[in-house]
Amino acid sequence: MSKTPVKKSTKKPAAKPAVAAAAPAPAKVKVATMWLSGCSGCHMSFLDLDERLVDLSKLVEILFSPIVDTKVKDMPYVDVGIVEGCVNNTDQEHELKMLRERCKLMIALGDCAVTGNVPALRNQFALKDCLIRAYEQAESNKICCIPNDPVVPKLYPKARPIGEVVKVDVSIPGCPPDADTIWFALTELLAGRMPQLNEKNMRYD
Amino acid sequence: MIAPKKITLTIDGKLCEGDAGQTILEIARNNGVAIPTLCYMKHLTPWGGCRLCIVEIEGSPKIVPSCTTPAMEGSKVNTKTDRLVSLRKATLELLFSERNHFCPMCQLNKGDCGLQHQGLAHGITGIRYPYLYPAMPIDVTAKYFGMDQNRCILCTRCVRTCDEQEGVHTLDVAKRGIKNQIVVDMNGTFGESTTCTQCGACVANCPTGTLFDKANAFRGQLASCQQVLTTCTECSVGCGLKVFTKESRVVSVWGDPDSPVNKGHLCVKGRYQTWADPRERIITPLIKGKPATWKEALAAVRKASDTAKKAERALLVAPRVTNETAQTIAKLAGKIGRIASYVGSNEAAFVAKPEHSANAMVKLPDADAIIIIGGQPSRDNGVVAATIRTTVRKRGAKLFIFLAPKTNLDQYADVIAPTPGQEESFWNDVAAKLAGFQRPAVVCGPDVTTADGKAVLARIAKMLHGRSPLMVGVPVSANAMSLACSGIVPVENVGAWLAEKPVKFLHIVASDAPDGGARLLEDAAVAAQLKKAGCVVVQASYKSALTDAATVVLPAAIWCEKTGTITNFEGRQLPVRPVLAVAGEAREDGTILESVFA
Repeated sequence: MSKTPVKKSTKKPAAKPAVAAAAPAPAKVKVATMWLSGCSGCHMSFLDLDERLVDLSKLVEILFSPIVDTKVKDMPYVDVGIVEGCVNNTDQEHELKMLRERCKLMIALGDCAVTGNVPALRNQFALKDCLIRAYEQAESNKICCIPNDPVVPKLYPKARPIGEVVKVDVSIPGCPPDADTIWFALTELLAGRMPQLNEKNMRYD
Repeated sequence: MIAPKKITLTIDGKLCEGDAGQTILEIARNNGVAIPTLCYMKHLTPWGGCRLCIVEIEGSPKIVPSCTTPAMEGSKVNTKTDRLVSLRKATLELLFSERNHFCPMCQLNKGDCGLQHQGLAHGITGIRYPYLYPAMPIDVTAKYFGMDQNRCILCTRCVRTCDEQEGVHTLDVAKRGIKNQIVVDMNGTFGESTTCTQCGACVANCPTGTLFDKANAFRGQLASCQQVLTTCTECSVGCGLKVFTKESRVVSVWGDPDSPVNKGHLCVKGRYQTWADPRERIITPLIKGKPATWKEALAAVRKASDTAKKAERALLVAPRVTNETAQTIAKLAGKIGRIASYVGSNEAAFVAKPEHSANAMVKLPDADAIIIIGGQPSRDNGVVAATIRTTVRKRGAKLFIFLAPKTNLDQYADVIAPTPGQEESFWNDVAAKLAGFQRPAVVCGPDVTTADGKAVLARIAKMLHGRSPLMVGVPVSANAMSLACSGIVPVENVGAWLAEKPVKFLHIVASDAPDGGARLLEDAAVAAQLKKAGCVVVQASYKSALTDAATVVLPAAIWCEKTGTITNFEGRQLPVRPVLAVAGEAREDGTILESVFA
């Protein structure tokens, strides 16, 4: 994503969580999205909302996201935190816990966040074996050493769905969830209801 | 039989009627009340293991599984209370957490999986328990299917199917508690199993992706396939098939549960060998191995046929063509020349005078003693073997095997005599063991027509005199009896038959035989006669040594492209329906014969 500075878009995040206060123009719901161990497919599926994104933007403000060019230094306080992917390393756990502290409602978006899914396939094996396979034996890898720079976050022995790290309020399964499922869940939440997903509007695959 | 007493009970406020002795689940389903299940399967012993079918009975504090609880007159049953729904959800969450149920990586992911369906139906989004991510083994050593324990929910449908339908009990449950798992034999693999018959019934009955067909991997979900009912033409039993097709391909073949012959069960031949084996199909006519048009090929065939006198022309038919093709041959008999169907060893006399044993597959399970003479059902007629095994193992029938090589039925037999002699002491012993059985069944194979076979049959018939035994004759070849009825002579020794008169023009209808008719060449005399014949026309679906040796090859339609009927050993006329469009330029057997000889 290009980082051309645009002055008018610099927006200061709200210092406190915005409560839906009665005002002539209702305050937009503040949203942060996060991409942990996942393929970004769930964010792509979110973008598949297509023209509905325009409607959504009237009600929602995305303050922090891998798909939005935000100019914030620190993670903002938001109403809703949407997380794609599971927790694989120390850095992801730190970020996830920080978001949990700063959001009121947390959505686990997609199978990786909900069940662990593909990143959790390694859970059947010892971490060391996985690293050796990936960095020393992989046919495509020419570097042949396991990264050990202290800057690189440390992998946990097992990948965990985010529900095992923090409290999750809403889970939207799917690999990825359909845009329609995401739209249904978001509109239900905006209407003040907890989304009730069933066989008609969700899938696991 | 006395009609069972009727009982009435209330399920979810609806008045439901059923028979005394039926379970709550059966009565509920018969009356249109849906109760979710995973381990329950009609025709299998209820297991009560998945705990999704739990119900509350008013007046009782306990929650009971409806699949194993007999219904009681006047009871009030609730199936959808909040407590039950919340318990079902918890059960499903535990099932999801126990193994590695990753839907995106499973070929049964869109509509074929019972666990996924129940999870979605119960609105399970995330689960409250930590996932265990156990390292489970995957067994892909079987030829046609695999077992991925990561997806298993331990419903034991496969174990019960293997035990109660195929009757071999290869699969069972081993280990305790969280380590509980399905094992093959004594914790072996399918590949090295000596008991597994590869019938694939466990795969068809598995509610998850644990047991999966290899050949249909990612050809499409069965739920999205077209289903066509047809009949298997691989042996004389004539099992009903349910063929799943998508995008002009066979995705899977299951047994037709409504067929009175096999009741949904199949053997490896019908289940897999017709479509899951790699074979080279012939889809254009070939002249001396080079592709040609039908016009050129037929012109070449006609020319050769016209130059030969009628007595010098011969037609050999595989005993697997439809009754309609047989009628076509009978109609054209005057123009063809010598006609014969090539049958297996000792089969000619066996099918020449067909005696259909009506409803044998329905009556056989009621037998209290089964006597096999000169046949190998477990090799040739898998579903008959399965019926015999389950009748012996589950219904207590006694099994006697005479004049048959060692098969996997031997372990259940009381008397095994591969080469019975004339010792009176032995036969007195057999007579003593057969005494007292009121519903004996005699299952005869082709070898009963040998001198030894006739002697054994005569002795057994004498012993069973007055007890009206069920006589069942099961040929190996699919439609040989019907061909014999149409006047096509069954011949075993093809070489000698060909040598009777000089042959200038030989037309072989191998049709869709899996070996492409190559079986004929195993006999050196036939191979020599083929070389002598001026023109050899082979009508076959698959490439083989025989089609390589042919002057002209005419491409024939296969089992799932034919239209017609076959007559099974019971005398049932069973429909063979076209499942797919005929591939390439192939044509149906009857059509080809008409264009060659008419």
